[in-house]
Amino acid sequence: MRDRYRWFAAAVIAVAITFSASIIFVSAQGAQSKAPAPTAAPATRGQATTPAAPARGQTAAPARGQTGTTPARVARIGGKPNFTGLWQALTGANWDIQDHSSEPGPFYQLGAAFAVPAGQGIVDGNEIPYKPEALEQRRLNRLNRWTADPEIKCYMPGIPRANYMPFPFQIVQGDSTIAIAYEFATSNRVVYLTNPRKAQVPAWMGTSNGHWEGDTLVVEVTGNWPESWFDRSGNFHSDALKVTERYTLRNPDVIDYEATIDDPKTFTRPWKMSFPIYRRLEKNAKLLEFKCVEYTEELIYGHLRKPVN
Amino acid sequence: MKPRFLMTALTTVGAIVLLSVMALPVAAQAPKPTTAATKAWTAPKTSWGDPDLQGIYTSDDYIGLGLNRAAQYGNRLYFTDDEVAAREKNIDATAQRDAEEFAAPGGNVGTGPPNHWGERARRSPRQTSLLTEPENGQTPALTEEGRRRQALYTRQGAGTANPEDSWEGYTYYIRCITRGIAGSVLPVIYGNGTEIVQSPGYVVLLQEMVHEARVIPLDGSPHVGSNIKTYMGDSRGHWEGNTLVIETKNILGNKTGIGGNGGGTPFSENARFTERLTRIDKETIQYTMRVEDPTIYTAPFTFTFPIRQEPGYQNFEYACHEGNNGMMNQLSGARAAEKAAAEAAKQK
Repeated sequence: MRDRYRWFAAAVIAVAITFSASIIFVSAQGAQSKAPAPTAAPATRGQATTPAAPARGQTAAPARGQTGTTPARVARIGGKPNFTGLWQALTGANWDIQDHSSEPGPFYQLGAAFAVPAGQGIVDGNEIPYKPEALEQRRLNRLNRWTADPEIKCYMPGIPRANYMPFPFQIVQGDSTIAIAYEFATSNRVVYLTNPRKAQVPAWMGTSNGHWEGDTLVVEVTGNWPESWFDRSGNFHSDALKVTERYTLRNPDVIDYEATIDDPKTFTRPWKMSFPIYRRLEKNAKLLEFKCVEYTEELIYGHLRKPVN
Repeated sequence: MKPRFLMTALTTVGAIVLLSVMALPVAAQAPKPTTAATKAWTAPKTSWGDPDLQGIYTSDDYIGLGLNRAAQYGNRLYFTDDEVAAREKNIDATAQRDAEEFAAPGGNVGTGPPNHWGERARRSPRQTSLLTEPENGQTPALTEEGRRRQALYTRQGAGTANPEDSWEGYTYYIRCITRGIAGSVLPVIYGNGTEIVQSPGYVVLLQEMVHEARVIPLDGSPHVGSNIKTYMGDSRGHWEGNTLVIETKNILGNKTGIGGNGGGTPFSENARFTERLTRIDKETIQYTMRVEDPTIYTAPFTFTFPIRQEPGYQNFEYACHEGNNGMMNQLSGARAAEKAAAEAAKQK
């Protein structure tokens, strides 16, 4: 702790000296290459001195691009199906992506409320082609699942798991980008349709690039962080994971979702999962906030709380 | 991906910059109107006809500019051209130094990360403060209730307190929960990116730091019930001409405020926020937030600044909680220091 403060002091003093020196000893270099002063000032001044009163009475008038609101349900955007909306899967796959029987939960005190329901899996053929050493790791993961699953610590779930957790997610589809905001842990990602991004660093939610194959949205997710799991049962992957997702509208309120899992470090061959994702049709259903970090702090840091004397 | 422990330097840097600028001779002329604004430019529209705000923007240029105005400027909202020129020379000098691979011979070398790991302004702000309302550029005084809550609920940032008893003494930012609605937009020393994605009926603001994604319905739907309180509040938007207006309420009280990274005196559960985003040229959105929280502040206030698209600037995933070794280390360090002190006391 003391070292830490010394470090802070050193850093702050260094920064302070640097800034002071740079202002006092003004350099003449590079001034000619400076971009023109931002043009914001006049607009700012206008806004600051004559703030336009919010025209509440006008908000219901759907004069698009002029004043008002925009209808949310448009069938197609730029000629492609519009996936915008609040969605949620109804599988039990977050417990186990394979077929599984019901079983007791980790705390007998919670009885039936937090027991594990039986579920039909989402893996095509119900078989995950683990390599032998990976199968052993999966066995260990399952043994330790009530402590080792990253969901317990409110870590970002990664793809594909975020799509079948028991939480809704919001798709907002534009012409060249699609934002997907998941309720769990405020995790999110942007799918780039026109200017693909190379994954520069691994990320829990990966790097997503999309394209259209007819009316199917195909999203390739690379640069995946190796620590996310597929479910609470210890199914896992490595940093070599590449997920290819396919989103197809069966009708305006159901997406047929399919993901191909390709990870040659963990599996002997690519394999697929598929399930439907349903539009949340409740009146005024909205994405809410589940910032779960604070529900995990006692678990993660509790042993470091100052003891009460 | 940047060192989180540098953030406490921010306020110090801001203060030093202000003090240094104050030491310069100040030319008294008013800012000249810029001619660039007169150039013909048509605000773009999306394919479905809404004003198009999409892109990745940063508030980097307003790094270090205080929310409150330095006393010497009084009611003057803009720097003079000379003041701007001096600030831009300073920015160039900093860029020059950042580009140097080695420290100067005999130079002061520390063990921490170099300060260019943070983000840098590329040009000087025109404004003398982020606050434009009230006219004097000063945050309004706290109410009596505001002062009471300030004492009760203001949490500590890293490196500013005695060894902490628990994580609960830290800000929600240090705990990697959130910076709140105002803290998520105000410029800091890094992670100032906001990516905007639009669809018919929705706008999403994706903020890099602590990975926020604010989904804002534009469909005229009502707010969620008043018993649903959240850190980022419940937002609804509409268009006024080319301006996106966002109104937010239902925030959790006593959590985040307008200090660095959402610190400082927290807002109350009665706070309401009105944001206005207007694209003013190809690269720039003028961002404005008006705060009304009569429980905490004696008057409303407004801050504004431009956010800009910069070549190569993008958001990265900010897996803050997943990598929060800082919290673990500070708490375990505090416990170790207590243990050492207790043992030293026994030896006496």
